[in-house]
Amino acid sequence: MSDIFFLVLRRLRTPLILLISVYAVATLGMTLIPGVDPNGEPWRMGFFHAFYFVSFMGTTIGFGELPYPFTDLQRAWVLVCIYTSVVAWLYGIGTVLRLTQDETFISAVAQRAFKLSIKRIDRPFHIICGYGETGQLIVRGLSELGIQAIIIDLHSERLHSLKLEELSVPAIVLGGDITDPDNLLAAGINHPCCRGVIAVTQDDHTNLQIAVASKLVNPDMPVICRSEIQDEADNMASFGTDSIINPYLVFGRRLSLLTTNPELHRIHNWFINQHTAEHINERITHEGLPGGDWIICGYGRFGKAVEHYSDDGHISVTIVDIDPEASGAPKGSIVGRGTEADTLIEAGIKSASVIVAASDDDANNLSILITAKQLNNDIVTIGRVSQETNNILFMHAKCDYIMRRSQVVANEVLTIISRPLVTKFLQYSYSLSPSATNDLITEICRLTNDNDPVTWRLVIDSKGAPAILQFIDNQQALTVEQVSSNSKLPGTEGIPLLLLRGGMSHLLPDPDMPLKLGDELLFCGRRNQTLLAQKLRDNIELVDSLYNQNRHHIPLLRWLKRRKKLKSVD
Amino acid sequence: MNLEKVIFAFFIILALSLNFSFFIGELSEASHHHVNELFAALIVSLICTVMKFGDRTHFGSTVLASSLVVDLLLIAAAITWGVSTVNHGSITPTAMATVTSLAGGALIANLLSVVLLIIETGQIRK
Repeated sequence: MSDIFFLVLRRLRTPLILLISVYAVATLGMTLIPGVDPNGEPWRMGFFHAFYFVSFMGTTIGFGELPYPFTDLQRAWVLVCIYTSVVAWLYGIGTVLRLTQDETFISAVAQRAFKLSIKRIDRPFHIICGYGETGQLIVRGLSELGIQAIIIDLHSERLHSLKLEELSVPAIVLGGDITDPDNLLAAGINHPCCRGVIAVTQDDHTNLQIAVASKLVNPDMPVICRSEIQDEADNMASFGTDSIINPYLVFGRRLSLLTTNPELHRIHNWFINQHTAEHINERITHEGLPGGDWIICGYGRFGKAVEHYSDDGHISVTIVDIDPEASGAPKGSIVGRGTEADTLIEAGIKSASVIVAASDDDANNLSILITAKQLNNDIVTIGRVSQETNNILFMHAKCDYIMRRSQVVANEVLTIISRPLVTKFLQYSYSLSPSATNDLITEICRLTNDNDPVTWRLVIDSKGAPAILQFIDNQQALTVEQVSSNSKLPGTEGIPLLLLRGGMSHLLPDPDMPLKLGDELLFCGRRNQTLLAQKLRDNIELVDSLYNQNRHHIPLLRWLKRRKKLKSVD
Repeated sequence: MNLEKVIFAFFIILALSLNFSFFIGELSEASHHHVNELFAALIVSLICTVMKFGDRTHFGSTVLASSLVVDLLLIAAAITWGVSTVNHGSITPTAMATVTSLAGGALIANLLSVVLLIIETGQIRK
């Protein structure tokens, strides 16, 4: 506050001095110049009357020539005073107005407002650096989850569109350079409620700078970075960035699932894309991608990732690139963009099963896909969208699988933040065999009636599951099976997907595994349905009646029976 | 030879001098204290206060505070004068004494302001 105050005072110095001098000279003049009263006697104004007159003259009120009409000399002096005082006032007001338009002033006010609102936060929040397309998706997702977001972006104009968003949890914004550590501190990285820093600017190096700064200032604060260049990613990993998301690698890996284990891809899709749905052809979800000849147009980062992950026996890849030598394409690559029919025919479009439009220009990609469909109607088309706004064009072009860079990053980030166990599960799920995945899918579909499942996490500690903990503490065992389903309560079944115990993850845990303090269990269940585990965790009576064979209905008898059982265990 | 600093120092010393010139003389003798001098002292003091705005150092704030005290006392003196000469009467010795003593108080604050300025100048040289 004092900053702004002093800024204003400094600016107002000259106008104020001018005003004071003008008034002083005017008043002095009025006292010195003699007037004539109606009787013809000379008369002089005192300072008080002079000041009174000059006041109402200067503010252009003009009551009149008081107390007696003025002599010509007095009037001449008043003329001079009028013009100078009005000019002095205008100058003063002009300076004040100019001050409010001043950039330094405005940014000083904005900074102060920002700092104040950060201080007042009392709920967990995340700092998001970069409000591009990815940032927008993340903020929307966070708002739906009820998590506060603090956004910093270099371009204040981008932040203006935030006002139109109507988020349920309004975000706090600041237009400023996030690589300036002062801004990072001002954003509340050391605030007790801060839960993480998310660096999703367009520039990898900026993300790196943010990660470095965050880790130095607050080493315990989780940092999630987006990185598209491997060098920068390695750099980030070297000092402990918690998660580095490369959209191309992430997507490429999931794409490879479509060829090796399409059911697993379906599971991934369910669990990750809960915030914004991916656009993928239904047929491909069920059947997966065909093997055979693939054409990749554009050997950029995405193209390279697809080629890397499709490297198994069933797929032979042909690369089409403008400059195969410069991009390091393997031998046999076709030179060209892939937008003309000739290039595609040369690449073998007639016999190809899949074409991937992987260049960084959306118009070129659309052209490639349309041309490809014209030449080979049965081909599966996969397109990369660089600008979110072009997504609708790709959908109209009937692209079978659309890769939206920003969406991939945003969904990963949101899953990491809100459902960290899911992230672990998906990581380990790559080790599942197709038959095991098949079994899992069948189970899930049976449970949810072919609808999309939801996930839920059970934490065995005094806050998350007091009843279960109490039961276990009394040296009675409770297995995974017992918290997943019980025939007495149909419709509350949940499928245990992952058990996290002491840093070790157990994928699809053994049903007979007993629960211990500190365990975290990931369940998959039907939407809008309370799971058995949810019911059990804080309801000791329910645990009792189900697993203690406590058949009494009267609370007193139940309590007695519990005491008896306790005594017998001891 | 910094013009801005010359003007700054000029006005501060002028404020002190004018204040003293008004104050000096017998306490309640109206002929010793001319109203124009009070006027001049007040105006220059106001200008000094405005010039001291915007200084964020500790010194600056103390100097500004003392300047504000001077303004306050001189304005009080002017009001007392005005009130006691209501309807063009001439000022009574008691009122004159009040005015002069208020101006005396302002003089002390002015002196303090100048002393602080000298100390600040001395520090910069080092």
